[in-house]
Amino acid sequence: MGKQYEIPVGAQHIALLEPLHFKFTTENEKIINTDANVYYVHRGIELACCSKFKFRQVSFVVGRVCGLCSISHTTAYSQVAEKLLKIEIPRRAKYLRMLIIELDRIHSHLLCLSHVAENSGFEALFMKTMQYREFSMELLEAVCGNRIQYDFSIVGGVSRDLKPQVADSIISRLKTFMPQLDELMDIYKHNWTLSLKNKGVGAITKQQAMELNLVGPFARAAGLAVDVRNETEDLLPWKEVGFEMVTETAGDVYSRNMIRLRELYVSIRIVNNIINGLPEGDLITETKAFPEGEATVRLEAPRGELFYYAKGNKTQVLERLKIKAPTFSNVAGMVKGFEGNEYGSAPAIIASYDPCLSCTAR
Amino acid sequence: MIKIETSLANLKKDIAAFYKPELHHFMVMNAVDMGETMEIQWFFCDYAHPCETTCFYTIINPAEEIPSIRNIVVSAWVAEAELVDLMNIKVENTDKGFVLEPDFESGPLRKKK
Repeated sequence: MGKQYEIPVGAQHIALLEPLHFKFTTENEKIINTDANVYYVHRGIELACCSKFKFRQVSFVVGRVCGLCSISHTTAYSQVAEKLLKIEIPRRAKYLRMLIIELDRIHSHLLCLSHVAENSGFEALFMKTMQYREFSMELLEAVCGNRIQYDFSIVGGVSRDLKPQVADSIISRLKTFMPQLDELMDIYKHNWTLSLKNKGVGAITKQQAMELNLVGPFARAAGLAVDVRNETEDLLPWKEVGFEMVTETAGDVYSRNMIRLRELYVSIRIVNNIINGLPEGDLITETKAFPEGEATVRLEAPRGELFYYAKGNKTQVLERLKIKAPTFSNVAGMVKGFEGNEYGSAPAIIASYDPCLSCTAR
Repeated sequence: MIKIETSLANLKKDIAAFYKPELHHFMVMNAVDMGETMEIQWFFCDYAHPCETTCFYTIINPAEEIPSIRNIVVSAWVAEAELVDLMNIKVENTDKGFVLEPDFESGPLRKKK
């Protein structure tokens, strides 16, 4: 048995994009145990939503839980509030919500891929991926008015319509992006240096993914076919717009890259289908009711399953709002995924988890 | 959502009888502060299509200790640690200091008396 060392990583560290703290116990450079703390960014958002804001304002508050998956939070909250109000939103609003969720997934997945490249020591690929990602933020700005924190979903529907010239621009920009995505796929799939850093690293088995209740690309890379878009159609008709489940089997950093890249193709297809089949109609269902009872909603954010629980008491202010972000479900798997790997691989593994502590700590 | 009432005494037995890792996935724990009492909830979902959310719940006195289910659901320690910090309740074998710093005032989500 070699000498054991404890190595703290974070809350501020060059390999971390989020304020997270890991304590690695290593032996001969191999990680044999990991402790994690996530307590740096608790902002009391759940408390604020149930004390300082009226239920219609809460969708704008939860949009600030996370910059990247803001649309997932505002949509999930709007859906849970609509359940409490017992209203059905217009079909056009459902399609527009799905459109923004998928554009957001493109920009989130590309960001994660770029950071995996960077943390694997491939700076040029980081630059290239970030450069290609820019179009998705410009499209989001064109539709919603903001590059992040879109405030697009509101209780009862959506806040903006899709202008025909913006719809044309989305189609044309996606057409331009396709060869760029093919190029990225080729590099992430075949580059020898990157595969040395990513293949067989940070692996989780399907059995472990099931036992640890992992969600999102983290679970799907291990072969666990879990995707809320595949399991629910009552609130958003995902299969109608061409959703298709993507899974890999190896469960390592490489497989997580492949999952995200392959999901980009699915997202592009969904966006094209939505624009080509966008129903006519209103954007919002008006109601003067107050939320009553309790309800839950699940939604597939870019990082995995987002869960909202809300309880209303027939007043303007909610009794309780609970938010469970995807990273929260993946914490147990994140700790497990380091075991047996070299300490030098930790940065790439962390980036491949795509952790969001703003969501987790709220 | 299917709600199933349980008790602290029967919690482990009920969840062990229900939870199958290949069929269900544990999502999160939640607590609703009702003043003198508190409703504790354990949320599960299945992998089927269409999926069904199942909530086990029990009403407790906030001073009571909740049994840990991590022997049945391995990843439950994260949700249990969060509840200890945010709701200032006791969970078996769970210390504070995961979602909030250990010296932070516990239970920010508890109703102020």
